[in-house]
This record gives sequence, C-alpha cells and structure tokens, in this order.
Amino acid sequence: MLGWTGHILRVDLTSKTFKKESFTEEFAKTWLGGRGFAVKILFDELQPGIDPLGPENKLVVALGPISGIPAPNTGKAVVAAKSPLTGFYGDGNLGTRVTDQLRKAGYDAMIVEGKADRPTLLYIEDDKVEFLAAEPVWGKGTFATNDWIYARYGKGVGVLNIGQAGENLVRYAVIRSMEGRAGGRPGMGAVMGSKLLKAIVVKGTKPIPQADPAGMKAVGTADLKEVHRIDKDTGWSRQGTTGVLAWCDEVAALPVHNFRQTRHPESWKIDGQRLDEARVATYGCPTCTMRCGIAIHDHEGRESELDYENVGLLGSNLDVFDLAQVGSLNYLCDDYGLDTMSAGCTLGFYADAIEHGATEGDFRFGDAERAKELLGLAARREGKVGNLLADGSLRMARAFGHGSEAYAMQVKGLEVAAYNCKFIPGMALAFGVAGIGAHHREAWIITFELKLSTRDSYGPDKAAKVIELQRIRGGMFESIVACRFPWIEIGWELDHYPKYFNLVTGLDWTLDDMWKLADRIYAMLKLHYVREFPNATRKDDYPPAVWFQPDNADVDGPIAGKHLDHDKYDQLLQHYYDQRGYDRRGIPTRETLAKLGLSREAEAAAKYATLS
Amino acid sequence: MKVTVRLIGPLAYTAGFSEKEITLAASATAADALAHVHLGKARQTIVTRNGRAIADHDGLEDGDRLTVSPVYSGG
Repeated sequence: MLGWTGHILRVDLTSKTFKKESFTEEFAKTWLGGRGFAVKILFDELQPGIDPLGPENKLVVALGPISGIPAPNTGKAVVAAKSPLTGFYGDGNLGTRVTDQLRKAGYDAMIVEGKADRPTLLYIEDDKVEFLAAEPVWGKGTFATNDWIYARYGKGVGVLNIGQAGENLVRYAVIRSMEGRAGGRPGMGAVMGSKLLKAIVVKGTKPIPQADPAGMKAVGTADLKEVHRIDKDTGWSRQGTTGVLAWCDEVAALPVHNFRQTRHPESWKIDGQRLDEARVATYGCPTCTMRCGIAIHDHEGRESELDYENVGLLGSNLDVFDLAQVGSLNYLCDDYGLDTMSAGCTLGFYADAIEHGATEGDFRFGDAERAKELLGLAARREGKVGNLLADGSLRMARAFGHGSEAYAMQVKGLEVAAYNCKFIPGMALAFGVAGIGAHHREAWIITFELKLSTRDSYGPDKAAKVIELQRIRGGMFESIVACRFPWIEIGWELDHYPKYFNLVTGLDWTLDDMWKLADRIYAMLKLHYVREFPNATRKDDYPPAVWFQPDNADVDGPIAGKHLDHDKYDQLLQHYYDQRGYDRRGIPTRETLAKLGLSREAEAAAKYATLS
Repeated sequence: MKVTVRLIGPLAYTAGFSEKEITLAASATAADALAHVHLGKARQTIVTRNGRAIADHDGLEDGDRLTVSPVYSGG
C-alpha cells in the first residue's frame, strides 16, 4: 500500500499512553482519508448519546494520501469529533503544518481520547509521544500560545491549539494553527478544551511513501507554479474571497441586520477593494501559491486576517461598516479561538432578539465596542449573557422563546454562512442538507442559480447541482484533503486531483471513483445524525424559518416582495432525497446503503433508529 | 442611453475601473455594453442587470446598472 503510511496514532490522555495502529488497504480504498476516515472511525468508536464534552468523545485529526505532498493547496487537515454545538458528527478543515509533519512522523491520522488530569501539550516527534504541561499558556489566547510553542520548538513544527473559548467549552470554539488558520466550526476546539488539551505539536522526519515520487515531484512542482501564474493573471488573490461581498450586495444576498436585509448602502466600506487597499500583509496555508489571507490593521492597531465570511458575519450582519472595527472583532475571535461565523450569527441573533422584544439587553446593531465586550464574555463564559452567547444561537433562542427560533440563523444548530437565502432556494437547500449543519463548504450554488437557472425555480436541476457540489467539495476535497479554491476560483481542472492521487498511490482512480466515495460519506453523515436523533424528520433539513416569512421580504431592490415558498422548498427537498436514494425523512434507505457498500453500517444504525 | 457598468473583484483591476457610466445606442444589449469593457483573460463571469442575472442578448434600458462578476466559490 503506497500513498498512505498505513498507520493511525491513538493517544489516550487519561492513561498517558499511545499506540501505533495499522489499517488495511481495504479501509484506505473505502474511506480515502480526511473526512472519509473521520466519519468511519467516529461511527465505529463512539456510542450514540455520549456527552460531546465528556472524556468518551474522541478527536480525530485526519489527513489524505496527498497531504504533505508538494502539489496545489494540499496543506490542509480535517479535525472531527461529536459536536457540542449540533449533537452529532462535526468536522472542519484548516491549513496547518500538522499535515506534512504528522505524515512525516508516520501517520495518516490521529485519534485523541480520554481526558488529561492537567492542562496538556501533546508533543509528537516521529515515534515519540510526550504529555507535557501546558499550564504556562492555559488561559492564554491562541496568538500567545502559538508564540510560546514556536519559541520552544521552532516555526517548522505543526501546531493545533485552542484559546480561552475552547478551554471554557464554548460550543463553537475552533482549533487554530499557524496564527491565522482556524477549523472545526462545530466546537472542535471545545472538545480539545474538555480534554484539557491545550495544544498538539508535531514534528516528523520520515519520507512519505509514494508510488512515483519523482513523477509526483515533477507534476506537483510544475502545477504549483502554474496555479500561481493563473492566479496572478486573473488577479483573484488581490481580494481573495472578499471579492464576493460586493456581488452579494448587488444581487441581494448579503447578510445585513441578522439577515433581515440583503443589501446596504455602506457595504462598499468593507468590500474586497477596500480590504485590498488596507492590506498590510498576506498569509496562506502550506503549499498554497494563491494565498487569500489578507491582513489589515484593526481598530486597535493589531494585524487581523480577514476573509469574506468574517467580514460578512462580523461586519454587515452586525451593521458594522467600519473595516478596522470588523478587523477588531475578527482578531478577538481568532485570539479567543471562537468561530467567526457562529460568533457573528449569534451576536446578530442577540441584537435581533432584543430589537424584537424576545429579551432585554444593551446590545444594538452597529455597536462594535459592545460587540467586542460580548465576545469576551462568551469566550470566558462570564455571566448570564456570556453563557447564553457561548451556547450558540439555537440554544439562545430556546432560552428566550417568543418565537425567536425563527430568526436564529442556523440549521441543526450550526450557524449559516454569509449568504442570505431569503430568495435563493438552491442555496437554502445546500444549507439545509449540508452534512454537519449549515456549512457553505459543502455546496455553494448561488452563481449557478443566477447564471444557469432561474432564481425562483425549485426544480430537480438545483437538487442535482447541490449533489454535484457536495461530491466535489464535501466529498473529494475533504477526503483527499485539499483546498477547493484552485478549482473553483481560478479554474484549475478537477482531473488534476485523481492524477495526484494516482501518482502517490499507484492506483487508477477516476473522478467517478471520487463521487462514489463522496456518496458513501454523505450517507454516513446521515447515519451519524439519525443514530443521535432517531426521531429525525425532513423538517431538520429546512433552513431558518424567517426566510419563508412574507413580512421578512425585501421592500425594494432585485427581490422585493420575494421569499422562499414553503411547499416548493419541500418539493425541492424531495428532489434531493429522491436523487440521493433517501426516504421521506431524509435518511438513506437500506437499499441505498447496500449499494454504497454500507450494509454493516446500516445494521449498526438500525439498533438506534428505524431504516426504510 | 446611459448605463452604469460595475466590475466586481479582480475584473476592476484588469479593466482599470470599478464603476463607470457608458453611453449606448437605444437598442443596445448587455453584450454591446460589455464590448466597451476590457476584461482581459477573464474566467467565467456572471452578469446582472439591477441585481438580476441576464444573458448577453438581453436588451438594456436607460439608467440600468450592469454588474459583471467572476463566478466565486463562496469562501
């Protein structure tokens, strides 16, 4: 078996022991790596109903067969666990040197279980694993923690660490790396915190096994240069992802005022052009030659690295149209280790709930200074408001009542990304059926809806497009573990990825093989869900209720008077289920599971929930 | 008639402007308007008129706002 190291590192924090475990070629070919490994490992090893913040939860760090190989944008790792935010499988990816370092240490994945008896830094160097004291940085933010680690081990090591939000079990605490990268939106940082695991540091020195190392090196090196050239030609990284803000404003898809509005006359103040003009530095992930992390000086003069989701949800969604202040909110989230997207949605919900009389409070839209204080309260779980904010928008809405759940902008507990789907049915579906809750990573079809379809259609073509994008984005890229941006942003052909995969493994896979893998993963994500929520219904795949409400429609602009249609959305959802081979609850049928080679997993899930 | 053309993201750097008003014949289409704009080796774009997507052959009206954007992936 080439391409994979064939080993998983299992670490038990309770007993301070570790094991190097082998996996079979069949496992590797069935699940590939990254998200594929994580969904299978956690399905097999976690009992439904466990406390996600208890020692029985497990954190998986998983890489793919091209991880650590110099090729376009392969410096990503997947982090996964049972989510404290959504109550079922959660994951995320982040750029990190853990990717190549863990592979060079001889592992394709790591499973962390148990709970340490004191704040711990897990140090891995090839076959050695040490459980070191992390008291000097417990209570510190991610920037200070990262600096402390670099001072001890040098900048070449791979680092995963958490801030105060993870330590204090904020349900949307992320894992951070390389000072600017973050991943694991559904509370993967809180899972680390619950285990008293402040940081993981990895150093590896072994070669990564490859079928054709010379061929891969030649192709990878040339392709890195070509991606760089295309990026420079197109100018994409001048604004990176933030270029989309001006477009969202133009087509009425920008989140403003907790998604109540879709455009704003001051949005230009925080758009990609302004960000490019304010740029003081540019950052990126390992093996990236089209770096998109644009840093500006925030209101307090600190460097803050922004992308579209940060600006959309901490900026326009909170009616903050001062780029430096948006930078400050983003800096605080990064330092505390809060997910910027859930933080922005949760603060937006809080202001909206106050405005609508669902609760009392002193936070108003546009008040950046109070927003900064609230982020601190949430990260420290300080006081009643801090604790409410730390639990995310859905739990907050349930605490407030008064119908406020309708405008808690989340699906399955995970807050939506910065695309206002008040009248974008396909994108609303993408949020509804995303594997872990409302994550844009899995399918982003707005431009398809506007360019190749019609905005108000709910036809099977939109369901098909969501599935196509899930296969590419949530399936292949998350399992081979590579960033999707070269493909979607500058047109780097998808065929490159099976080519890299085949060079390192010696196999002969095509994109169709990748789609089969992706379908298997999506079915597993549903099995994870139904195992935890046996009474699951199709309503669980609905987007926020406020998007269906006529009185929430825009009063002017491109979508004046428009809103999602309940019956038509339900029909669109059925198209998706039919094409996927799922039943009317949105659960894969036994027949579908058998076709995907998941009969054993079906039997395991059937112990907890009824399968059709 | 006069139409405002707005370019999103890197298209503005290529064309040398982010927004400007252009004068067109009364029967002009979106394609006619875009012929006035140098987009270089632009990758796939999406064109909207007053926030709604249109095709190249669609006609324009005086005062329209035409926006050209790269097809983004969504961050």
